[in-house]
Amino acid sequence: MLTHRLGVASRHVVLITLCVVALGPGYLMVTGSLKSQSDFLDHPWALPGNPSLGAYRTTFNDQFTQWLLNSVLVTFSAVLMTMVIAALAAWGLVNWPFRGRDTVLGITVSLMVVPPVVLLMPLFQVGAELGWISTYRIVILVYVGLMLPFSIYLLANFFRTIPASLLEAAALDGASPFQVFRRIVLPLSGAPVATLVVVNLLWAWNELLLALVFLQTDEKKTLMVGITGFQSRYSLDIPTVMAGMVVATLPLAAAYMFGQRYFIRGLTAGGLKGE
Amino acid sequence: MTTDVASVGPAPRPVRRGLAHRLGPLPWVAPAALAILFVFAYSMFELARQSFQYEDAWVGFENFSLVLSDPLFRTAIWHNTLLLLAVPVLVLLALLVAVMLFETRRGIVAYRAILFLPYILPIPVIGVVFGQLLQLNGALNGTLDGLGLGSLTHDWLGNPQLALWTMGGVIVWKEVGFGIVLFLARMMSLPEDVYESAKLDGAGFFRMHWHVTIPQMRPLVIFYVISEAIVMVSWVFNYVFVMTNGQGGPGTSTVVTELYIYRTAFQDQAPELASAAAVLLFLSTLVLIVGFFRVQRADGGTFGD
Amino acid sequence: MNARRSVAAALSAAALLATAACGGGSSDEQRPANAASPQSFPTEDVTLTMWWWGEQEAPGAKQWLADTVKAYEAKHSNITIKTVLQTTDGLIPSFEAAAAAEQGPDIEYFWGGIYSQQPYWSDSIVPVSDYIPADELSHYTNAALEDTYDGRTLTAPWYVNPQFPVLARTDVLDEHGLQVPTTWDELLNVCDVLSAGGVTTLAGGVKDGWFGGWLYSMLGAQSVASKDDVTAAVRGDQSFADPNHAEWWTRLEETREHGCWNDDINSLELYQAQQRWVDGDAAMTITAGTDAPNFVEKVGADKVTVTTMPTWGDGAYAGKMGTTSQTVGITSWSKYPQVAADFIMFMHTPDRLQAWYDQTGSLPADDRFDMSKVDDPVKKQLFAYAADGAPYLENFIPSALDGKAVFAGVQLVLQGSKSGEEAAADMQAEAERLRRTDRSLVDNFEGWTD
Repeated sequence: MLTHRLGVASRHVVLITLCVVALGPGYLMVTGSLKSQSDFLDHPWALPGNPSLGAYRTTFNDQFTQWLLNSVLVTFSAVLMTMVIAALAAWGLVNWPFRGRDTVLGITVSLMVVPPVVLLMPLFQVGAELGWISTYRIVILVYVGLMLPFSIYLLANFFRTIPASLLEAAALDGASPFQVFRRIVLPLSGAPVATLVVVNLLWAWNELLLALVFLQTDEKKTLMVGITGFQSRYSLDIPTVMAGMVVATLPLAAAYMFGQRYFIRGLTAGGLKGE
Repeated sequence: MTTDVASVGPAPRPVRRGLAHRLGPLPWVAPAALAILFVFAYSMFELARQSFQYEDAWVGFENFSLVLSDPLFRTAIWHNTLLLLAVPVLVLLALLVAVMLFETRRGIVAYRAILFLPYILPIPVIGVVFGQLLQLNGALNGTLDGLGLGSLTHDWLGNPQLALWTMGGVIVWKEVGFGIVLFLARMMSLPEDVYESAKLDGAGFFRMHWHVTIPQMRPLVIFYVISEAIVMVSWVFNYVFVMTNGQGGPGTSTVVTELYIYRTAFQDQAPELASAAAVLLFLSTLVLIVGFFRVQRADGGTFGD
Repeated sequence: MNARRSVAAALSAAALLATAACGGGSSDEQRPANAASPQSFPTEDVTLTMWWWGEQEAPGAKQWLADTVKAYEAKHSNITIKTVLQTTDGLIPSFEAAAAAEQGPDIEYFWGGIYSQQPYWSDSIVPVSDYIPADELSHYTNAALEDTYDGRTLTAPWYVNPQFPVLARTDVLDEHGLQVPTTWDELLNVCDVLSAGGVTTLAGGVKDGWFGGWLYSMLGAQSVASKDDVTAAVRGDQSFADPNHAEWWTRLEETREHGCWNDDINSLELYQAQQRWVDGDAAMTITAGTDAPNFVEKVGADKVTVTTMPTWGDGAYAGKMGTTSQTVGITSWSKYPQVAADFIMFMHTPDRLQAWYDQTGSLPADDRFDMSKVDDPVKKQLFAYAADGAPYLENFIPSALDGKAVFAGVQLVLQGSKSGEEAAADMQAEAERLRRTDRSLVDNFEGWTD
């Protein structure tokens, strides 16, 4: 086994090296936000000798709090809606093999590869027509629409592996399709649901292009749009830019720290084993 | 469109039959259908229409031939193709690290958490931090010099021969954590007895993972390959945008198809060419995805056994 | 600065989608007819909205505008003017969105030249000359030069940007026994001496592209007879590969060969690079005109010479600084264009012109401004350059050509992977391509420049 070839110590050396590489840029960001500009440029890797929170003061004098709340609102609504709608649709498609179902699924799946940038223009046109520019609903709706194909694909793929025997037993007990879905299908779906929540959450949180174009007023901007502008305003002030980046990263880092147990548990425990 | 590409195979036996059965999926599928129609149907129709028009007049395939004759478009497509090479790197790296973690166990929680961190960093952060890190006189080259590896220093983003590979490297750096966590989770949920019997047979490292781990992981690997391939072809815009200030530079060395479409539509104000390019990108990605599904069809579900 | 912030401008391009979304019709028949007669001034309550930008490059502008609105409202009690300061990133996107929805500002801020032409070509603005008399407009600096189409003045200049001053540190040059170079040979000599001593002559950054357009305007202007040569090349009547359009690329190549630039020019953004000059690591740099006094102040006026790009050509613009005016325009959906125009004229009253200089230190775009009041030597010199300025070339080529040929070409020439000659050929090929793809380009340029 690898264990014997590398030895425990050298294996840890490799892993620690990888961790250093993974953490390096984040370390630059955090320490950079606490240093002076010249400190950063002269000794980028050194610990801040004289840490200062001055850069964060500039950051919070900006509109970070508002942007943060906007991002939370948009991301959570979009992901929640996506998960519910995708799960229903995936189960609907898998459970009722109507004619043309595969065509429908094929089309849905092929939409996964459509880059959002190509939809920007027509979507903006629709948004303007509806008078929905600078509203959350247009952004949430577009996010949901963009996340659905991948989510449906993943869930449908999973659902069809659920043994029919389980479902039949429940149906014989007189459970309605919805009850079957809720009591049997969903509890089995930890792995794909956990994966999807993470993938979608990160995607929606980090989405820049659509948010930028659709949310044009200051009070509606998401964090990503906000920090992009922030970065261009302070582009010469490295500590301040870094502080802004730290603030933009923290919510997700915190969410990950608290949520990873559930995420990992979902990934490992949800799947069907030893059929 | 080939209908079998996404076939989900034989469904479990339907719960009900008859008319109710035929209308059954409707309420389940309707919300998704509406949302997808809202976002895609009109847009795709508009795209297709615009790609054949110029200022509301039909021009046949003229837009397509203009796009195809643009050396920049061909360059952009080629760059996407090159970026696909990062996918096998991602998969191998993620598998290797996952196996190492799986066998190490000690410290696994900390390692896993740290290695996943790059995946959650916002894209603008990547632009800013790597922009500083990879400057010719930046922290990376400074470190290499300090380690006596001065010969390895490069103008990572400033050298047109190198910039695309640097970009690929940054993408791997950010995306690999996701693969590690996915693969590791799968390994840990594999039944122990599989390994026990393999060990009893005296299987070595490579044989064991080749014959036991990999086959068990196959659907998940395919899932990861597909999602990363989509990243390289259709979702790579953000990376290029933030790391080259929207230029795709130096020169055209990091222009990818999405950036080409974006700039054609919004900078050069040629929406009809952007639409034609978008249709071409869509068609080529479709070919890609069909290929993947052909492979996957032989396998089981993504997360199933 | 002239919104040359990387993200900003690239993102602003994003929102040009509105133009596209509108169908972008730009043929002459679709244009609103010339307003028949000036509408009478309203007596009912009127609220106008003005979206603007400029505090970023001319600090003090915000206070000036607030004062100006207050004074105007005091004169006209039924008029209310709301001003919204846009972010650098948001200026063009929000306007294009407004244009798509045909609602939003009555008065909008535009940069000069191509930036004031394109909104007119896509029917988002009405010419200010429909509402402002010609003898008034004749005083507005650069209006005729940049913002006129087919005899109509599209937008009204507000203040002037001298583009672009070369800032030279005499302390760094003195150390090596060098003078501030004024000719090309002198510049190359300075580069040779300084690069031998490990000092950067010119600090620049082209990662974000924009500096390429600056260099084109400063170097490329030296061999053309007039800006009409450039627009003729855009239309196809001349070639960008002709010597008068192409030779600057070779000069650019020379700067690389002589080690004029910082070695990391390709991995730095322009503003990061200018910092090198402030830090004393480079002898010279190039900054936006409105910002130059601030840079001079950081280093100390006694150590800085403000000058123009060393000359290599013998064209009419060689040795001159470019000049361009930032402008305001009236939107095509405004219900009270005559009030908007009246307010714009109020911005040009003598008291307001003087206040503009006092509050921002930059030059109001009006020849009725009393230059004798300017005493700061740096500003005086910059204004003199602007008064005798050449057209700012980058404002006379399509932005697509700028981005695809100039930005990319400058990056590659400075990096060394493309020769000047190849870059010129690329630019010509791109111009030819653009004429094929943008079928109204030639017409639009003819209407603009004839």
